[in-house]
Amino acid sequence: MKADSAQRAFFFEEKGEEDSERSLSKMKEKIITRRDFLRVTAGTAMAVTLGSGIRDKTLAETTAKVVLIRNADVLDQQDKVQEQILQSMLDEAAKSLLGTNEPMEAWKKLFRSSDVVGIKSNSWNRLPTPKELEATIKRRLLDVGVMEKNISIDDRGVLNNSVFQNSTALVNMRPLRTHHWSGVGTCLKNYIMFVPDPWAYHDEGCSPLGKIWTYPIVKGKTRLNILSVLTPQFYGRGAHFFDRRYVWPYKGLIVGTDPVAVDAVGAHLLQVKRVAFFGEDKALDVPPIHIMAADKKYHLGVSDLSRIQLIKLGWMEEVLI
Amino acid sequence: MTCILTIAGMVKGEEKGKMSQEISLPSEAGGWKWDGKELKYDSRTLFKYIDGAAELYLAYGFENLTVRRFEKSNQPPLIIELYDMGSSEGAYGVFSYEQQDEETGIGQGSEFGGGLLRFWKGNYFVSIYAEGEGAEVESGILKMGRAAADSISTQGPEPKLVGFIPGKDFGLVDKSIRFLKSHVLLNQRFFISHQNILNLNPKTEAILAQYLRDKQKTQLLLIRYPNLKEAGDAYQNFMKAYLSDAQGKDRLKTEDGKWTIAQQKNEFVIIVFGAPKEAEGEALLKATEKKLHGER
Repeated sequence: MKADSAQRAFFFEEKGEEDSERSLSKMKEKIITRRDFLRVTAGTAMAVTLGSGIRDKTLAETTAKVVLIRNADVLDQQDKVQEQILQSMLDEAAKSLLGTNEPMEAWKKLFRSSDVVGIKSNSWNRLPTPKELEATIKRRLLDVGVMEKNISIDDRGVLNNSVFQNSTALVNMRPLRTHHWSGVGTCLKNYIMFVPDPWAYHDEGCSPLGKIWTYPIVKGKTRLNILSVLTPQFYGRGAHFFDRRYVWPYKGLIVGTDPVAVDAVGAHLLQVKRVAFFGEDKALDVPPIHIMAADKKYHLGVSDLSRIQLIKLGWMEEVLI
Repeated sequence: MTCILTIAGMVKGEEKGKMSQEISLPSEAGGWKWDGKELKYDSRTLFKYIDGAAELYLAYGFENLTVRRFEKSNQPPLIIELYDMGSSEGAYGVFSYEQQDEETGIGQGSEFGGGLLRFWKGNYFVSIYAEGEGAEVESGILKMGRAAADSISTQGPEPKLVGFIPGKDFGLVDKSIRFLKSHVLLNQRFFISHQNILNLNPKTEAILAQYLRDKQKTQLLLIRYPNLKEAGDAYQNFMKAYLSDAQGKDRLKTEDGKWTIAQQKNEFVIIVFGAPKEAEGEALLKATEKKLHGER
């Protein structure tokens, strides 16, 4: 295993400790250096990487459920999103996630007509949340009976948006891509606009991101997390971090109610794609340790892939995970 | 049409030692024409434009950013970003930090790959990209880049520290030199420790470079501190945190079977990481020391 992989292994294996909170605080007290990762490489005691094994069947210890759905026709030849197909993908995902027979049953389990719903999107101009995805979510909220005035789609203006300020429910959705400060641009990362000082959350690979989810404006409100993996970016370096050489038409969505599990699956997908593309897990600017921190420190969900039930639906060609 | 921008001093006013420079950004290149609008950002507003990456630019002394959009029928728009970094060292630093693609001969240093052109010249770091792709677009980006580089009349020096590291005779890898201004940036290129055990701060400068011999990678880290005391404190801190089991020596074969060697030379700290053999690490360190000595 290379040191970079070992670095990931170190962080993700930490979660196996009996008292994770204590072990995380131990990490903080001890000065962790490159040599700790070299020891991991040499010792093999923690030789399991992030991608060590998603479960595809429900097991007793499974604690999170994530749906990956793909459709070969969701993008046309110019990569334009086919909205009707996307709608059906989202419906299928919701149905599977909630275990219902009909899509609307699932949507009604997720939202009430009285809800005030903020749809947290991502407007980064190089790879934004597809407008079609925003439209499909809004359509289903209206179908559930949520009043249009009680629905808002926003990214950078959420703090000043009255719907978000008064929200009873949130939908969190963004494209999956590598990210300069957090390693991977995740659902967890997408809430950074809910704080007035986003830069204060960039230390240690954005490890404090999970803290944002404990603030009243978002705490306990998120009903659905969606990573758009229609055209994810699996590698990139530096602050511009968009590079079309490393974007591919995966044509999928990763959907779940557990943001940490959704993100862990997303990070795993990008890692596997890097290995397939480069022949090795080429290091990101930082490893996506904020996912593990969200699990271990902030208890927002499950980051251990072996405890995530991944339900794969639809097109399976080059599914990778 | 030509637009004259007075860039330096626009945000903070004239400062001692800084020259105001007029930049005539191109209004047309390769058939792409400026849409007439211009976005401007300073250190407080940069975050709104580049989504969380502002720290990188701020670490290198960012002063302001000008963004223009260019259009051509049946082609995707081109975007030009002109970063005034306040010094040529800062412009070089931002460029070097991400450098990975092929040189294009634009400005004082450039690269083009994945539809993104990046270059630096004088106090400016420039990036140009399109909201789409194709051969015509790539040609347009390069033409726009040359025109933008021509509009920056003054060149500037690279960081002096770059001249102190051994060159290709020691196996220096192309495009591997990073000029770094914080431990966060250092860690993102070569992780050493979560804590700032080398006491890097805005007054320190560091060069990280990779060397390759017999397919074995070695990293050289050269840091200049403001004075002897700060260099000494940082060196002791590093030895305590990283090489505490070296039994008072300046080197150790670490867990990967490779050598780490660290020395302080006046206000400099030189560290070699991952040398396959002790003698090779020693040679790289001595060659660096010799270059430093030659400058004193």
